[in-house]
Amino acid sequence: MRAAENIEKLIKNLNLDIDTNTEIDRVILVELLEAHKKSKKTKSPFTGPNIRRTIMKSPIAKLAAAALIIIACLIGLFLWRTTGSGIALADVLAQIEKVKTFRYKLIFKLTGHEAPDKPYYSETRGTSLNSEEYGWKRIWERLDPNGGDSTFIEDYFLPQKKTRIEITPKQKKYSRAELDDTQVERLQKGGIGRDPVAFLKKIVGSKYKSLGIETIDGNEVEVFQTKDPNWAMGYFKNPQVDVKIWVDVKTRLPVRYESSVTGQVGDRINQQLVMYDFQWDIPVDADEFEPVIPDDYTGTVVKPAAMTEENAIQGLRQCVELFGNYPESIDFEGLSSAFEKSETPAAMRLKEEIKGLSEGDKANRLMDDALPIRFLIRFRFRLLMDRKDPQYYGKTITPKDADKVLMRWKVSDKEYRVIFGDLHAETVTAEALAELEKLVSK
Amino acid sequence: MLEDKVLIWKFKCGSSDALSRIYEKYKKDLLKLATILLNNVSDAEDIVHDVFVSFAQSAEKLKLSGNLKSYLLTCVANCARNKNRANQRHQSIGLDKAEPIISRSKTPERWMICSEELRRWSDAMARLPYEQREVVILHLRAGMKFRQIAKLQAISINTIKGRYRYGLDKLRSILNGEMKK
Repeated sequence: MRAAENIEKLIKNLNLDIDTNTEIDRVILVELLEAHKKSKKTKSPFTGPNIRRTIMKSPIAKLAAAALIIIACLIGLFLWRTTGSGIALADVLAQIEKVKTFRYKLIFKLTGHEAPDKPYYSETRGTSLNSEEYGWKRIWERLDPNGGDSTFIEDYFLPQKKTRIEITPKQKKYSRAELDDTQVERLQKGGIGRDPVAFLKKIVGSKYKSLGIETIDGNEVEVFQTKDPNWAMGYFKNPQVDVKIWVDVKTRLPVRYESSVTGQVGDRINQQLVMYDFQWDIPVDADEFEPVIPDDYTGTVVKPAAMTEENAIQGLRQCVELFGNYPESIDFEGLSSAFEKSETPAAMRLKEEIKGLSEGDKANRLMDDALPIRFLIRFRFRLLMDRKDPQYYGKTITPKDADKVLMRWKVSDKEYRVIFGDLHAETVTAEALAELEKLVSK
Repeated sequence: MLEDKVLIWKFKCGSSDALSRIYEKYKKDLLKLATILLNNVSDAEDIVHDVFVSFAQSAEKLKLSGNLKSYLLTCVANCARNKNRANQRHQSIGLDKAEPIISRSKTPERWMICSEELRRWSDAMARLPYEQREVVILHLRAGMKFRQIAKLQAISINTIKGRYRYGLDKLRSILNGEMKK
């Protein structure tokens, strides 16, 4: 029989180790920082006259206050030394989120191999003008890797008109996408990866460190770096990440971003992104955001599908068509691998059709043909970001498992939405789900 | 302790970095406490999330003279007690159902990834009445004194000591029973 003190010791000394999901950690941290930002005022809580009066009334309190100041200075020195100039990136983020307009330049390079002895390379350069009120105007120049003419693309996002327009002058073509409110809101929040605000949010949510002070164009800047693999957000398998941001010590605004990510998406690729020449809070004119489409250009109007359950089911249906079954995981890595291995007629036909195409054209073709699957990936990613507790069982569930849970997510405190193996969907209680999921693990 | 004082001071002055550091420093302790109190990962994640959000919003009104860790653990304990009461009102979950609830939680999409040890202890603790479990955990794992727990729950220190003693006795018999199996 265990003595009471033994049990006490046992419980005290238990090594109850846990781990946390870094992706969700990052989402929660960004949420906390936003909650904090909304609630805080810049005024220091220690500047009030009452505290000063209280301290100065008592000689003991004076001595204690002096000691506290010395300790605080010593600790402060230590903290400052670890962060260069003392810039807090979360504060930089808070500051650029207040900016109404900005302009920057960008270079994006992608390298990889089409075959072991056949490397490919693509480079895009661009400028981006952004306004909280008018949206954005981006002009991209896609360089020809063989030294031919570049392709220019103008990309406009117009939130007031709920429209996104892409113009390709070389082909005399344009496409107009009609967006719903959710899509507009997401684009306004900087939902695409090359946005400096989204970029900084990701750094703030990662493990980063200060590399110290440098001088750029005569101005002192502090450099921060993250090598946190989670920065690549699940797009790559075992990514090597090197991301840096240079922040002006005086203005506390970013002056340059650089990222290099090497990882596996099909084959091993490296992508490098540089954003520079930032101009913050500049005057802009509404006309600058008005696309000019010559009369002889031909256009298409598209309505991007929303990230709905129906579209997710379409994506799962396409998976069965292409891979013969559900993929083990719904991410680029899992889907690429499933496509590589698949020998279904649909997959073989598509593989045959993309044979001989350049890497760029191949990617474009796959992106077009696998549109429903892309919606599925985005749908699941959104559930994850919204903390809807999504779960997917494609590893064990097949289309024949009509009554077994293939995918589920939370819709309320007590209910879950479930897509079953035969792709019908139902809302069930948490208790019913618990019973259903017992069948999955068997 | 000194680091915590500086962190609180910086947090109250508006430093987001201080908040990030507090979150990184204490998230696991809070998740562990909530899990073992509630034996339900989903509920534990929810209350820890809520505690951190409230804390993030409280920079201006926060008056914290004591230990930051104790403060956060107390917030979690209070929320866990409320959650437990709410769960009892809504449904009566038998102890036999406690195991699948936490077992299912070991999935990559969860915030917390439980160790086997935590799962096992959480299941054992779930067999104690909540009041006893709370006292045992707060005293032995959160390092709170009986006096502090009594104040937290607004009951007498003798009642707390009694619950602790009964809790340990029951836990001992549970563990001895497991060993005999």
